[in-house]
Amino acid sequence: MLLIAACGLIYELIAGTLASYLLGDSVLQFSTIIGCYLFAMGIGSALSRYIDRGLAYRFVWIELLLGVIGGFSSALLFLAFAYTQGFQLIMYTLVVVIGVLVGLEIPLLMRIVRDRYHFRDVIAHVLTFDYLGALGASLLFPIFLVPYLGLVRSAMLFGVINVAVALWSTFLFANQLGAARSLRILSVVVLCGLGVGLAEAKHITTAAEDNIYADEIIFARDTRYQHIVLTRFKDDIRLFLNSHLQFSSRDEYRYHESLIHPGLSAIPAPRRVLVLGGGDGLAVREILKYPQIESITLVDLDPEMTRLFSTNPMLVALNQKSFLSPRVHVINADAFPWVDSNTDSFDFIVVDFPDPTSYSLGKLYTTAFYKAAARHLSSQGLMVVQSTSPMFARDSYWCIAETLKQAGLKTYPYHVYVPSFGEWGFVLAGFRDYAFPSQVPAGLRFVSVAGMPALFQFPPDMSPMPMPPNRLNDQVLVRAYDQDWKDISH
Amino acid sequence: MRVSRRTFIQSASAALVGLSVKSDQQIAGSFVNDSFQLGHKLRDRASFPAPRRVEKHAVVIVGGGIAGLSAAWRLNKRGFRDLVLLEMNDQAGGNSRWGENEITAYPWAAHYVPVPGKSATYVRELFEELGVLKNGQWEERYLCFTPQERLFLYGRWQDGIEPAIALTANDRDQFRRLEDKIHKFRATGRFTVPMEVGLSATTADLDQISFADWLHSQGINSRILSWYMNYCCRDDYGATTEETSAWAGIQYFASREPEEKGPLTWPEGNGWIVRRILERVGNFVRTGQMVHHIAPRGRRVSIYAGDTEYQAEFVIFAAPTFLAPYLVEGMAPLHDFEYSPWLTANLTLERYPDNYGADPTWDNVVVDSSTLGYVDATHQTLRTHLDRTVWTFYWALAGGAPSQKRELLLSKDWNYWKEAIFHDLERVHPDVRKCVSRIDIMRLGHAMARPKTGAIFSEERRNLRRQQGRILFANSDLSGFSIFEEAQFRGVQAAETVLHEAAGIHRP
Repeated sequence: MLLIAACGLIYELIAGTLASYLLGDSVLQFSTIIGCYLFAMGIGSALSRYIDRGLAYRFVWIELLLGVIGGFSSALLFLAFAYTQGFQLIMYTLVVVIGVLVGLEIPLLMRIVRDRYHFRDVIAHVLTFDYLGALGASLLFPIFLVPYLGLVRSAMLFGVINVAVALWSTFLFANQLGAARSLRILSVVVLCGLGVGLAEAKHITTAAEDNIYADEIIFARDTRYQHIVLTRFKDDIRLFLNSHLQFSSRDEYRYHESLIHPGLSAIPAPRRVLVLGGGDGLAVREILKYPQIESITLVDLDPEMTRLFSTNPMLVALNQKSFLSPRVHVINADAFPWVDSNTDSFDFIVVDFPDPTSYSLGKLYTTAFYKAAARHLSSQGLMVVQSTSPMFARDSYWCIAETLKQAGLKTYPYHVYVPSFGEWGFVLAGFRDYAFPSQVPAGLRFVSVAGMPALFQFPPDMSPMPMPPNRLNDQVLVRAYDQDWKDISH
Repeated sequence: MRVSRRTFIQSASAALVGLSVKSDQQIAGSFVNDSFQLGHKLRDRASFPAPRRVEKHAVVIVGGGIAGLSAAWRLNKRGFRDLVLLEMNDQAGGNSRWGENEITAYPWAAHYVPVPGKSATYVRELFEELGVLKNGQWEERYLCFTPQERLFLYGRWQDGIEPAIALTANDRDQFRRLEDKIHKFRATGRFTVPMEVGLSATTADLDQISFADWLHSQGINSRILSWYMNYCCRDDYGATTEETSAWAGIQYFASREPEEKGPLTWPEGNGWIVRRILERVGNFVRTGQMVHHIAPRGRRVSIYAGDTEYQAEFVIFAAPTFLAPYLVEGMAPLHDFEYSPWLTANLTLERYPDNYGADPTWDNVVVDSSTLGYVDATHQTLRTHLDRTVWTFYWALAGGAPSQKRELLLSKDWNYWKEAIFHDLERVHPDVRKCVSRIDIMRLGHAMARPKTGAIFSEERRNLRRQQGRILFANSDLSGFSIFEEAQFRGVQAAETVLHEAAGIHRP
């Protein structure tokens, strides 16, 4: 009895917590979910009157259903969030179904045992244990379950308990059950399913991983190319690729406005833009602010990444549906071979790759790569390169600038302060001279015409370092980057 | 809704299937490019059919390896087109042959060229023509990408191929002393690539002792340094330090002073160079044409291959020189030519195996292994992500009489060599067997000239190097060792001789 009550409450808590993590606004989420849940329990209680025969048999079935639906509810919600647009519909449906089932439990149980005890005792017993179970669950949930098991496995654990109750009931009420044997077999099968789920749940999200990232993980996935993690704390969504922070939704506008507008606003009548990397669609969002741009080609390696940022409601809201624009063409390909084989010309090229943490990624920061990319520049074209931090990785930053120079380009380095990153650097490059733009798109939150020159000023602690260029056969950048971050952390 | 026994069994067996997805992987493969049967026909003086037709050419080149192709490249470049190149195998390229599968192209033997120094003028000329050298700059894409090499020792991979970890003070001291000596030899200008540029009788005494003896005489006896010297000799000469002339051992180190981080390499190894040369001279090349007899006839030479008698004013003999006495009428047997047998294998990997220590590199070498390790054919890819790859595994059968090693090489079956390769690789990649789907193995009985004691200054070699008469010898084995630059140099030299001699006859 204690356990049944605890299970019922746990599913509700899980739904509430998950909705708060994924959708934000915990007051709204918890209120509506508790409301729905209690209302559904009422429906369940009302429906219980229509069950008049085979009470024990139906009770066991309800426990089994609760075990399966409740047990997998958390995993299902995570997947629904990642892969469907109808997360809320699925969530409330689940809450209602579980509520109805839980609502059926207590009346049925009371009727099953009423012949054994006085009515007065039945009420007292059942309700006492119900409330005690609720207390246990509400204490267990935040103190033990969430920190140590995580949401997915907590739900599965309580699914297991529901099914165990079902199994136990087949023995307890054996005399009232016609088909105890087949119910037992079914219980064992369901138990195995949940057991496997419990063991494999770490693939969906692991408790250990929760510790690496500061905030709650709302999405984690190993794609063919990388490990994608999204976290959320209140209204701050963060994207990590292979554990490296890519953006925080609170201040990414500073990064992306600075990445795009100093270069793009300075190009007369730009028509065609190429974005290399940038699978989050945030750079594209900024580019779409120029109505004269006819086409944006985005080349990103990972189809999972561009799909996630084309379909997930929260992320689509963040990039303002940039991938859904008819002006945008997404190509999932490895950037270097693509740049090598493609012959199109572009007015603006955005090079926004992950930091050069490995020799594989380092290839995308070489003289060979920049030469290949620069062949796509139109006569008035400019290229902008994400260039790590001139503050924390000063050698790396100036190494990238030198590499662009050695590729035969004129360079115009600049930097910006992004709170979640710190000082961050970019290098504008092209075959032509650069002059500050006289106009930027309306409604920007950070970049302005008046503030532009300041971005190009480097104080002494970030001023140029003499560095050799990064070449395919001598990747000094990857070693410098490694060293730069070692120096910071020691 | 009840669970029937059938549904229960169905779901239970579905669960079991799920648990047993791991199964034994079958590894495919075979011996490829076998050519010793053809060679044995020559050795055994088998009878060949009489010619049914006659073709006349100014020049016939025998052998389509780097030497022969370089001769054709030079002649063609000088406007000399009356030539034909006869290659015994179905594919030209010799030791620079290559293969290709759905993952990548890969080498069958020679897989790199060190960045050529100033004395390698012909190599530089070729590379300028091929866009490898542009305005004095080496094309970045053809230089070996970072990280280049690693060495497995003490249970993990270290960066770089020279042993660097856990060295004693004595090891370091010996390394330094050897470096000093090599530096002095380099400064003499006697050790060059190609070797003929700097060759001088003043260094002849070094050819009279083995490299091992010379090292010993210099007090170089550190175990790890000795291993490294031995590895270098096996890698370039297919021979141990005991089997290598001290001159050749010193040449390996003293002839090179890289001006750029290299070497130059391509997915298909030096096959890339062969492909580019074939684009230029491919129409002169006839493959599957084994020359079985060469007969000087006054001012002309008759070359017999298949059903054709080729009549030429000059023959450039670019095939391995040891074959010449079996082919050329009246030629005396040779005594100073010895060759190391080699085995190479290309392994198709469905995934990269587990790794301990430094990241995978282009060249991966294991301390104290009798093999030479493996080279990753996809290393030069511009892609940032690869799931599958091809490894070229190198094994010079050094340390013993070449004839015995050849016997071993040819007598054991594919399975034996497959297991031997796994035995070697599993020491460093315990799970490699699970990653490999295919192993193709090439056996080369006379893969590389072995520069044993006395080979460099041998009278026989010096005579053949002079390129006199109507049959001009051009194989790299005339230098005493088989490397790209020597083969190219001798091929181009032979072409130059022909152009000079024929100047009176042909005016292009």
